[in-house]
Amino acid sequence: MSTVPTKLKQLAIATVAGLQFTLPAVAADTSTTPSDNGSGSSASQAAEIEALKQEVQVLAQKVDALEHQQQAPQPAPAAASPAIADLDQKVRILERQREIDQEDATAQAKTRPKISLSQNGFTISSADTNFVANFHGVLQVDSRSFFGNTAIPSGTSGFLLRRARPIFSGTVFQDYDFNFTPEFGGSTVQILDAYLNYHYDPAFQIQAGKFKSPVGLEQLQADVNTSFNERALPSYLLPYRDVGVELHGDLDGGVFSYAAGIFNGSPDYNNTTVNSALSNGKAFVGRVFAQPFKSTSVIPLQGLGVGTGGSYEHDDALASELTPGYVTDGQEKFFSYASTATAAGTHWRISPQGYYYYGPFGLLGEYAISDQKVAGGTVTKGSAIGLENTAWEISGGWVLTGEDAGYNGVTPLHPFDLRNGDWGALQLVARYADLDVDHKAFTDGFANPNTSASEARAWAVGLNWYLNRNFRINTSFSHTDFTGGHGTGATVTARPEDVLFTRIQLGF
Amino acid sequence: MKTLFSFSLLLTLAFGIQAKEIKLLNVSYDPTRELYQEYNDAFAKYWKAKTGDDVVVSQSHGGSGKQAQSVINGLEADVVTLALAYDIDAISAQARLLPVDWSTKLPDHSTPYTSTIVFLVRKGNPRNIQNWDDLVKPGISVVVPNPKTSGGARWAYLAAYAYALETFNHDDAKARDFIRRLYKNVPVLDSGARGATVTFAQRGIGDVLLAWENEAHLALKEFGSDKFDIVTPPLSILAEPPVAVVAKNARRHGTTAVATAYLEYLYSDEGQEIAAKNFYRPRNAVIAAKYAANFTSLKLVTIDQEFGGWANAQATHFADGGVFDQIFQPPN
Repeated sequence: MSTVPTKLKQLAIATVAGLQFTLPAVAADTSTTPSDNGSGSSASQAAEIEALKQEVQVLAQKVDALEHQQQAPQPAPAAASPAIADLDQKVRILERQREIDQEDATAQAKTRPKISLSQNGFTISSADTNFVANFHGVLQVDSRSFFGNTAIPSGTSGFLLRRARPIFSGTVFQDYDFNFTPEFGGSTVQILDAYLNYHYDPAFQIQAGKFKSPVGLEQLQADVNTSFNERALPSYLLPYRDVGVELHGDLDGGVFSYAAGIFNGSPDYNNTTVNSALSNGKAFVGRVFAQPFKSTSVIPLQGLGVGTGGSYEHDDALASELTPGYVTDGQEKFFSYASTATAAGTHWRISPQGYYYYGPFGLLGEYAISDQKVAGGTVTKGSAIGLENTAWEISGGWVLTGEDAGYNGVTPLHPFDLRNGDWGALQLVARYADLDVDHKAFTDGFANPNTSASEARAWAVGLNWYLNRNFRINTSFSHTDFTGGHGTGATVTARPEDVLFTRIQLGF
Repeated sequence: MKTLFSFSLLLTLAFGIQAKEIKLLNVSYDPTRELYQEYNDAFAKYWKAKTGDDVVVSQSHGGSGKQAQSVINGLEADVVTLALAYDIDAISAQARLLPVDWSTKLPDHSTPYTSTIVFLVRKGNPRNIQNWDDLVKPGISVVVPNPKTSGGARWAYLAAYAYALETFNHDDAKARDFIRRLYKNVPVLDSGARGATVTFAQRGIGDVLLAWENEAHLALKEFGSDKFDIVTPPLSILAEPPVAVVAKNARRHGTTAVATAYLEYLYSDEGQEIAAKNFYRPRNAVIAAKYAANFTSLKLVTIDQEFGGWANAQATHFADGGVFDQIFQPPN
């Protein structure tokens, strides 16, 4: 706004200055001009000078007026300045408010609970993850088809809900985990897992409640990750879920792990768990496992793990502390103690174990000894006889589609999706297992050799189709033959068992 | 054998007298960063000379109420040095980390220094703001943080309220109307004192900032005394920022003795000098006299006199549905 008067002023000053320099020159020139003609010329020059002087005065007045005008308050700018300042403040306030809102939003985001739904289930966690609640589960719908002579007793062919488990787990106050898992599969509803775990340090954790007793390798494998529908024979000599407290931990990122605890004690194979002690005796259970190459650069050996688990307990003279029986892959009982037999004294188990995974190849092996003092019939508690039952298995697998095999299952690189032409992962699996009952069980009258087999040998092959990380379909065929146990010809052990399994599984 | 014994004894003594490094966490409010940076160095030297041990004090700063909540939620403070007693009361009541009578553990209700609320105005005080009633004039833009989240803002609110009560002969309705008009002139509410300073000094918003006295001096120091002036109103409030050992945390950390000494040393001549140099009003009369030039005299009312203590003031004015919620309308 002020540029116009300034320019006018400059123009006026230049004009006046120019005239002041010009007028004397004009006067000089006129006085020396040869063509001048005396007094007439002088009069006209004087008049011209006078006129110019007047013009100069007019211009000087205009310059003064312009200068005065510039120094005086400008009505228009004076009115506009507060308005602009006010507008400026409003803009600044809006910008600051936006900054504050963004800061608030950022701060709130840091404290806002996080909700996620993924292959790991439905999870709600506090912003700092100190509090986590997770809901996930397992659903397994199986079919079993028994083959052979229908005149000889066998398992019942048909569909069954093998496992139906909603799993509630989580963490409170950063270090305290919990897990509650009811089982709705099978014919009874039971609490399968219910425990608390304090995990301040991964190497030093304390867990209490009901959970898997830390002994068997395949027994400790998650139900959704086992190669076959049913675990192999060694698992039936080892404890299942039990109530107790254990100290456990992983050292060096899982290179070495350990667990040691005291539990109520669990008979061999007991698919139905209890929530209280069967007797006063307690079981001391422990397991060590090492993956010595896990953190090394020796890639072919990174998936090697070896260890051993074991238990020691003292049983009172109770029948309930004896196994209700050993079963086949088809879950048919091929061995059971006589009703007069009781657990009477020490019961120890040991199970060397190991696995090896390299790329799509996997191998898992386990050996188990269950040595238990047994009395009954003519054998008194004081002279109870130790029966040493043994079992072993070796199972292997190959992921045909190239994914890595592992103890924790197979994750398809290309989950099943017809739209993209992806088919998931396919795994071929095979297994051989053997369970041998101590012959003294029969010679000392603790079991009936006509109805119970002294040995079972089972092989199985199968195909697992992992559609994605959560959904799996598998089928397998299992053949089991027996030594002994068919004296009457009317038992499941009278002929080999052949079973075709299928399973549709959702695990998330 | 004797040699072995002597050697063992020597080793024991050697390890026994080895200097320890002790770590403390001081959870404080927004404007005390500079104060405790200087004080921590002084205390570390003092403690080293006294015990031979090294002490490293970590600082955490934020809005006073927010900091108290962090301690309640598990931030393992050994000591808290907050803006107002109510926040330490909350830690005691909700987390039981220190006794209810924590304020009796140190002199002057565990407030080793005091402060007040002053006005920071733009250089030359173009809006001629001299007293609280200038803040409610139409067109005056006042910057102050949100009293729901900021300790300093609560002091500022109460200072204005105390002025209104005195002016209107303790007519509470008129005082509320005064406060309502004041907050009508507040264009933006920051969550803490430091944020409000940014709004006023860096973003160029407003005609006046209601600030802690030390924060106002810090703004002059940081942004230049050629940009702002401090106006001390004739009446303001005696702000008493309290300190306390978080007893349970300190016990668990094994730092009770050093944490207690850390706070006690605030009352020492050196501690009081550091407070005064950082524009906190020292309790020690001699030190206060020495630094009298730093602090303009004014009438200071106390929260106990005017508002019946912090618990009452909190419930009446700052709790949900309290006076502040009733009078404050967020600017559109």
